[in-house]
Amino acid sequence: MQPTSSMKEEFLKKWQMGLQIYRPLIDNTSVSERRKAIKLSADVAMASLRRGTTCWSRALIQKTATEDNFLVRQMLSGIKAETLMNKKLPKVMCHRKIVRRSKKILMRRKSKSVSEEIAAKARKLVKRKTQGLRNVVPGGEFMNNDVLLIQETLDYIVSLQTQVNVMRSIVDAAEAGIER
Amino acid sequence: MDLSGGFGARSGGGVPFREVTALESLHLGGGDEFRRMVPPENAGGFTALLELPPTQAVELLHSSSSSSPSQPTLHSLGTLAFPSNSVLMERAARFSVIATEQHNQNGNVSGETTTTSSVPSNERIKTEPAETETCDQAAVEEQNNRCGGKRKDFDKKVKSSTKKKNKSSEESEKLPYVHVRARRGQATDSHSLAERARREKINARMKLLQELVPGCDKIQGTALVLDEIINHVQSLQRQVEMLSMRLASVNPRIDFNLDTILASENGSLMDGNFNGTAMQLAWPHQVMETEQSYHHRQLQQPPPQQWPFDGLNQPVWGREEDQDLGNDHNSLMVGAANLHPNQVKMEL
Repeated sequence: MQPTSSMKEEFLKKWQMGLQIYRPLIDNTSVSERRKAIKLSADVAMASLRRGTTCWSRALIQKTATEDNFLVRQMLSGIKAETLMNKKLPKVMCHRKIVRRSKKILMRRKSKSVSEEIAAKARKLVKRKTQGLRNVVPGGEFMNNDVLLIQETLDYIVSLQTQVNVMRSIVDAAEAGIER
Repeated sequence: MDLSGGFGARSGGGVPFREVTALESLHLGGGDEFRRMVPPENAGGFTALLELPPTQAVELLHSSSSSSPSQPTLHSLGTLAFPSNSVLMERAARFSVIATEQHNQNGNVSGETTTTSSVPSNERIKTEPAETETCDQAAVEEQNNRCGGKRKDFDKKVKSSTKKKNKSSEESEKLPYVHVRARRGQATDSHSLAERARREKINARMKLLQELVPGCDKIQGTALVLDEIINHVQSLQRQVEMLSMRLASVNPRIDFNLDTILASENGSLMDGNFNGTAMQLAWPHQVMETEQSYHHRQLQQPPPQQWPFDGLNQPVWGREEDQDLGNDHNSLMVGAANLHPNQVKMEL
């Protein structure tokens, strides 16, 4: 599934709305502040496209809310803002050291064959990668379900694509205009 | 799915299940339909099998409430080839698969929440397993006719299902449940079956991911594919940062006003047919024009020289959008108007 033009349009609209919130504060002239404003409004716009149906969008909104609460509240309509900001998914805390130690003990008892060892190593590798994926996708720590994780990743990648496409076309237009 | 063309003519409203006589004649014709139905999106061997009965079974579940668009296509299938054999019913109850979540999710990759299908009533359950079983068998037959090499598997599967038909299992429950066809030599207790269904789901989604991420098709193995996915996501995130940095460093005024200006020419950007040269010629024109005539002109008029080069886009949309936004923007723009033209004139 590739980003559709309707998604791009919606994203652009919402992003513009977010940027307008910053317009009165036009004295944020430092480049880093402006960059942050642009990025945050783009992120919230991207997340709000999904209207809270996906885990990553909620987590992303929460993350930007910690940086700029005002923006988030303005960009989303009132009701949604409250529910999205307050709700937090239950996080399963697994103390990795304890888990690892117990696994080592279990492993010692099992008798190993070569193929079993290889399979076990492959599984460990896959687990490590899925953990890496969880770190990258916003809200990944809350997705204990592998199926959910992959689904969210799919959706997140598509949304990122739209975001990148729209931003790139705007940046190109702006830079083309400046060069003249 | 593109099956609606073939089935549209035959999808009657609510043909009761037990009308065998009229429907047996359709059975022969049903073979073709099955054949056409067979290639699903994820054409793995087992997954294909898995896909086939679920869609039919889901259809059977929803036959009385045939509201959703994709399901009427399969509606007629459910009424074909109906044996009133209790033995078959028993077997079906144990071994056919309804992965309703799978069916839903194959349609909605975009992440819509997959609500489980409505709870089937008791009566539907009794009739439905029979249907699924025969549909399974017919579908499996077709499948194997197409891939001749799998004939052995099919025989084995039939044998395994006949072997196990006397064992009791608690797989036929009322809520959306998973029917798995047991392969020879594999355990049939509910745990491993559930796990197998789960693994199939994961594999199906990994395939979708592989298609999405460029360069993942050739790679074998889950770990490497996951690696690629992680790299892709990270690169996209980095691109977003880069682009926002570039945009921020372009010009303090233009990046915020850019969007209002671009509201009028949205169509050309959205289609990605961003004709660099044409834009470069027309773009600065517009920038200067709007800046200079800022106080005098309303934003509702997009400058005429813009439209010639984006004939493929939706100028109508652009103009409407413009008018919508014009009202909102005027109040904001007026505030910044005084500073704006001076600064831009200096830079341009």
